[in-house]
Amino acid sequence: MLLAKTLTSSTFKQALIAIGTFGMIVSALFSYVYLSTSSYVRSRSDRGIMTEYSSLQGAYERSGRDGLIALLEQRIADKSFAGNVYLLVDPSLAILGGNLRAWPSAATAASGWAEFRASEPLGNATNRPLVRAMLQIFPGGDRLLVGRDIGDLDSFADQIKTAMISAAALLFVVAGVASILVTRRTVGRIEQINATSRAIMLSGLDKRIPLRGTNDEWDRVAENLNLMLDRIETLMGEVKQVGDNVAHDLRTPLTRMRGRLEKAYHGQRVGEDDQSLIGDTIADLDAVLRIFSSITRIAQIETQARKGAFRTVDLVEIAGEVVELYDAAAEQDGTRLTVVGDRKVLVTGDRDLIFDAIANLVDNAIKHGRAGGEVVVANEIQDGRPVISIADDGPGIPADQREHVFKRFYRLEHNRYTPGNGLGLSLVAAVARLHGARIEMLDNAPGLKLKLWFSAPDG
Amino acid sequence: MTGGHRRILVVEDDPETAGQLVDSLTTSGYQVDLAANGNEALSRGGASDYAVITIDRMLPDIDGIAVMRQLRDDGIAAPVLIISALGEVDDRVRGLRAGGDDYLVKPFSFVELLARVEALGRRSDTIVKETILRVGDLAIDLMSRTASRCGKEILLFPREFQLLEYLVRNQGRVVSRAMLLQHVWDLHFDPSTNIIDVYVGRVRRKVDGQQAYPLIHTVRGVGYCLRAPG
Repeated sequence: MLLAKTLTSSTFKQALIAIGTFGMIVSALFSYVYLSTSSYVRSRSDRGIMTEYSSLQGAYERSGRDGLIALLEQRIADKSFAGNVYLLVDPSLAILGGNLRAWPSAATAASGWAEFRASEPLGNATNRPLVRAMLQIFPGGDRLLVGRDIGDLDSFADQIKTAMISAAALLFVVAGVASILVTRRTVGRIEQINATSRAIMLSGLDKRIPLRGTNDEWDRVAENLNLMLDRIETLMGEVKQVGDNVAHDLRTPLTRMRGRLEKAYHGQRVGEDDQSLIGDTIADLDAVLRIFSSITRIAQIETQARKGAFRTVDLVEIAGEVVELYDAAAEQDGTRLTVVGDRKVLVTGDRDLIFDAIANLVDNAIKHGRAGGEVVVANEIQDGRPVISIADDGPGIPADQREHVFKRFYRLEHNRYTPGNGLGLSLVAAVARLHGARIEMLDNAPGLKLKLWFSAPDG
Repeated sequence: MTGGHRRILVVEDDPETAGQLVDSLTTSGYQVDLAANGNEALSRGGASDYAVITIDRMLPDIDGIAVMRQLRDDGIAAPVLIISALGEVDDRVRGLRAGGDDYLVKPFSFVELLARVEALGRRSDTIVKETILRVGDLAIDLMSRTASRCGKEILLFPREFQLLEYLVRNQGRVVSRAMLLQHVWDLHFDPSTNIIDVYVGRVRRKVDGQQAYPLIHTVRGVGYCLRAPG
């Protein structure tokens, strides 16, 4: 199963291509080495033969036929000249001296280079040697052959050839095995991821891809996939939570409406009662519709479809507008609402969404802060990043609940019955996520200080 | 708006919604033609001169925006109010960019619809050229950006003046909260709080406080209306 997957995997195919290419290069290199080595060896041996020939020729010229015969005998007896082949014949090809038993028939008339197999073994050897020799006719008609048993040379070349072929073969085998092992490992990791995916599809989101702790790219992939799964699990959890909360937040007004209409249906028509009944029903219906549009709005922001509307905007300007809009509401609550900080804090983003998010935060700060307290909106550049913070001096949020307030429809228990649908902060979270901004919640002692860390604007 | 030019073309495919639209517009004194699909809208739109055309975004045959483009290409200049169930800002922007004059998201209240139709109809009517606008004993000076009642100046922040100006320009007509947000703050969303009411409340205290009669009136469930008594 795993082997079949290994052999069909793309990594293995790539490895095969790599081995093939590498093998071709190695073969070419080895052939070149072989050819140049053997031709070098051969030319060295040829030079040796030529040197020997000319020294013998010199002896012939100096001391005549007998002198040469004596020299040849000396050479044949000398161990350091073993492997050399000599033959001196007269014009009728009768042997005068040397260790070859007959003038090679293949070279009867020729002078120059010849290669032949000797008719009989040399000395006390058992097989007939392959000889490469130089032969020449002296002016007197005598012929001299000087050569060498090149069987040795050939076996040397053969040894090189064998060594190279076995090295190449070993290389292929090792590379093949290595690539199968590597591929197996890769396929194994992928299989693990696949198996986890299948398990998740079958049973649920609680499974995670195991890490090997090797800190390699596979661990990275697994880590990221696990993070993705975490996020999906959170979202699923939120969806479930939302389902429950939607049920509560929508059912309550819908039940009221239904009850009201049912009562009116069975009861008497009274103009004034009808009027207020219809008015209340419309108000409840509007509340339901508002929840719907908030949900779709958040959903739309979360699909990241709005990045097209991004441009450089000034946080200070937006904060100023928000504060101006909420000025009257703050005044009504006796809250002092101020904006402080740098003169210009630029971010890349969607003006309407940032406005909406800041408006929600300011609205929350006024609503949940201390009556007669203070709300401060501050814009600044901190560590090169644009930051906006909204601080109140109300009861704040307990540290253990800060995580949850961004979930859709979440409300602190004591706020359950204050106006608002619990979607404000999840909208803020969605807007922050779209802008790559980080939300930080700090204790303002007393109160809550919420910071939005944007990333520095593009360009 | 003059009595002679109160003809409206409603393009809507859902019969019940269409009936409600026609009813409420007719009750308000408009003469209403109805087109149930895009092709009918094109032939009717080209045949008569309308004060306002309302177009549903999703029609059975041709997309509402395509209908509007075609009408514009045919030289029909009547203001168009796009009505859509696709409420998000991007969609709104697309609708307005394609030549729509205003955008209303389903579901809407008929008072809101009427307010917007009135505002659009007026736009094709006249453009106010005076620099001082008066309603009863209120006068606002568009040049110096000041307001006064009975000659006594009212101190307003710039945004408050803008709000008052918008109410004055639409005097006698109902202005919805969404319209105020859109025209005074350039915001296209519903802050889902009573923030506008609080803001208008403050302007109202400044404008109507200790005066002979109130000018800014609350229209229950919709918004506000600025008008002189009588």
